[in-house]
Amino acid sequence: MLKQLLVGAVITALVGGGADAEAFPMAAGERAVRAEAGAPAPSKVRKKKSKKKANKRAADQEQARGDVSDGVRAVWGKHPSIRYGSVFQVDLAATFMEDAHASDSRATELSRYDLHRNRVGVSGNVFKHIEFEVERELTTKAVEPGKLAKSPWKDALVNVSFVKNAQVQAGRFKIPFGLDELTGSSHNPFIYRSVGASSLSPGRDAGAMVHGRFLHRGLNYWAGVFDHDGDHSRSTHIAGADQTVAGRITGRPFRRFGANGVELGTAFAVSSLSDAASEPNGLRGQTVVTGDTFFRAVYVKGQRRRWETDLDWAAGPASVRAEYTWTTDDRLQQGLGNQNLPDVRARSWFVSGGWKLPVARKRAGTVELVGRVERMWFDSVKGQSADSPSRSPRAEQILPNGDRVLTVGVNWQVNRWIKLQVNAIREQVEDAERSPVSNGAPFWSKAVRLQLGI
Amino acid sequence: MTHTHAILVVVTLGLCIPAAGAASTQTRAVSSAADPSDPLFDDAALHEIRLFVNARDWQTLKTNALENTYYPCDFHWEGQVVRNAGIRSRGNGSRSGTKPGLRLDFDRYSTEQTFLGLKSVVLRNNTQDPSNMHERLSMQLFRRLGLPAPREAYAALYVNNEYAGLYTIVESIDKHFLKRTFNENDGYLYKFESPVDAPPYYFNYLGPEPELYVPLPFKPETHENDARPEFIEQLARAISEPDRPSFRSTMAEFVDLEKFVRQVAVENFLADNDGILGKWGMNNFYLYRLENSTKFEFITWDRSEAFKGGSDYGILRNIADVSSWARNRLMDSAMNEKDLSDLYLDTLLACARSVTEIESGSSDDRGWFVREIMRQYGQISAAALADPVKPYSNDEFVGAVQDLLTFAASRSDFVQQEVSRLRRP
Repeated sequence: MLKQLLVGAVITALVGGGADAEAFPMAAGERAVRAEAGAPAPSKVRKKKSKKKANKRAADQEQARGDVSDGVRAVWGKHPSIRYGSVFQVDLAATFMEDAHASDSRATELSRYDLHRNRVGVSGNVFKHIEFEVERELTTKAVEPGKLAKSPWKDALVNVSFVKNAQVQAGRFKIPFGLDELTGSSHNPFIYRSVGASSLSPGRDAGAMVHGRFLHRGLNYWAGVFDHDGDHSRSTHIAGADQTVAGRITGRPFRRFGANGVELGTAFAVSSLSDAASEPNGLRGQTVVTGDTFFRAVYVKGQRRRWETDLDWAAGPASVRAEYTWTTDDRLQQGLGNQNLPDVRARSWFVSGGWKLPVARKRAGTVELVGRVERMWFDSVKGQSADSPSRSPRAEQILPNGDRVLTVGVNWQVNRWIKLQVNAIREQVEDAERSPVSNGAPFWSKAVRLQLGI
Repeated sequence: MTHTHAILVVVTLGLCIPAAGAASTQTRAVSSAADPSDPLFDDAALHEIRLFVNARDWQTLKTNALENTYYPCDFHWEGQVVRNAGIRSRGNGSRSGTKPGLRLDFDRYSTEQTFLGLKSVVLRNNTQDPSNMHERLSMQLFRRLGLPAPREAYAALYVNNEYAGLYTIVESIDKHFLKRTFNENDGYLYKFESPVDAPPYYFNYLGPEPELYVPLPFKPETHENDARPEFIEQLARAISEPDRPSFRSTMAEFVDLEKFVRQVAVENFLADNDGILGKWGMNNFYLYRLENSTKFEFITWDRSEAFKGGSDYGILRNIADVSSWARNRLMDSAMNEKDLSDLYLDTLLACARSVTEIESGSSDDRGWFVREIMRQYGQISAAALADPVKPYSNDEFVGAVQDLLTFAASRSDFVQQEVSRLRRP
């Protein structure tokens, strides 16, 4: 078996090793959200063609190896795969992302190299319509003594797809919220997600969801209930929100007018917020690379409401994406005298664009230039008090703060398995007192990521 | 002993409370230009401070009293309000979940926010001192001897309108203090904080690596990002490798030896075993390197252990009665200099004179120390007796005051006799 896999890998590298950016394997969990659950993809039309090519290559390779279609087969298509007719299929996937980065010496010191992501996973199906996926991080990051590390388990889910319009998914996976958050890391044109996606979108959690698609994927929906509001709002100090209801809908309203590549989306999430933990339970804002906290969590209780709207547009070599996110948290009984305080609010937006350069030789891979501007900022809804705004976590009027970020970069998809990303990131924290850099001056960070995926 | 009986004992000592009022005009020993914060440290009266804290935060602060987590609060004093200040539990041995010692930062959530020019104050809980007076009396004596010390006053603290006990308002050793004391504040301030598991430190040379000195045991309080530890390393090296003939000139670059010796003498007079010559190594002081200079100033801190050595506390305690490895290296070298050892003894005598000084023009024939104890007793007795969370009984409070009076009655005589004995040829 192992021999077959190795032979398959060699043949694939020789025969199908040319650049194919869209065929680069996603992390298993992200694929579940995007491909299987129909989350927006940047350029699905081209991807579909690539997928066909990949399938054809896989079939050819099987033929070349003299495999037969009966019984248990080992196949190396997009991933190493074990199949038994149409009874079951198990795909193996692994993603490795190694980063080198540096930032302003005045900000939090970074280790020069970071084993950012080393994930392995299996996915597949039983009787085609019962799909499963398990993905785990191989390396875990150290945390303070006495504090719990994040779970190394990423996606662990079962999806039942007997009815394409009403599939049922249960387990641990990404809450359907946010274009950037739902885009797989290995497909993201930037090394780091937008600050809004990293801080305001929920991320993964345990729950159940129904989802489906209509009008030949012209309309997609997801709706689910979750145990909490995702791992982005939690930390070793922050408990995060509790039961969450979330929904998302995407559509291509301009398809009839020939603009098939324009997809619009919107999502909401509502969570219950407890103040049972002694530490503040609000959302926090952190800088992109150094993770310096420029807005600390404040005391909250009641309900957390999230809403976002997004645009994903691909046309030829060009692509544009944009997203606006808005969240508010109740602050019931959070005043010094247990009085209610005005809601704390966080907002973010980004606009990004990419341009794939023409390549002379296909084997040289594809090169894409990308850029993104964004802002995330926190404040409170205006209340009755004439108090001056303060940074206190129980302030009636919260002193606003935000982070403005510009990212430019180059992506080189060397082949199906290897991708190199280079980003330069300029950040400026608006409140100089909370900036990691003195006087609130803008600061640059640089990052290089090597992705390997099978 | 009941509270009433205890008071009677005090009265029978001839130290009646009304006399305290007559002494309340005692002037400060270290005069300084008027400071906007003087009213907060006016020691002529018991202050009232009210803090408004979210009830859950207050409970959490007490439950997690060993942590330094800040909680927002509103501060009320004399009709003035500071919104969105920050408090946290503080102290070492005095940390308490019942009656927490507090650090109050006016600028915690607004860097530009100050109160009467102060960025912070300490509210000392005095849990290790049933009399509540050790700290304040000690700092007064330092100032009377012309040595830098924080200002202090008593306060009845109310949290969310509930009486939370008798506290001492203590001036923070910070840039405001430095400016007021040294007329400059851009030098390098360090708080001595010996790690719990570290061996006692006697200003011995730890090695050439600056990180052996900073951030511990010398914790930077200013210029935290550029603490310049090399100067402390140089100081420790100069102290521990004295070339006898050049000791004075070498040390002159780093320390005002006369001032240092006087400070140690006051600590000794106060029978404090937890200071620069502490039984467990150095403790309870700040070190300040003056601007554009290699010279360091010692600033006293936390005298809750004062007086506990008793009135017969040896005047050469931890100087001559311990083995050489347990001697403070700087003090050891200083005492080998004749003029400095004379200064040490002279300062002890000056302390003795100061505490027995009779107020001029008054018919009250009690010395300053006794007058001051009784004045402070008059200020705080009702508040101390009503303190619902103090970790000692009312009888213990009154008993501790009596102990202070006993100390006041005999310490000067003992010190004078000891100095005479040492100087006898």
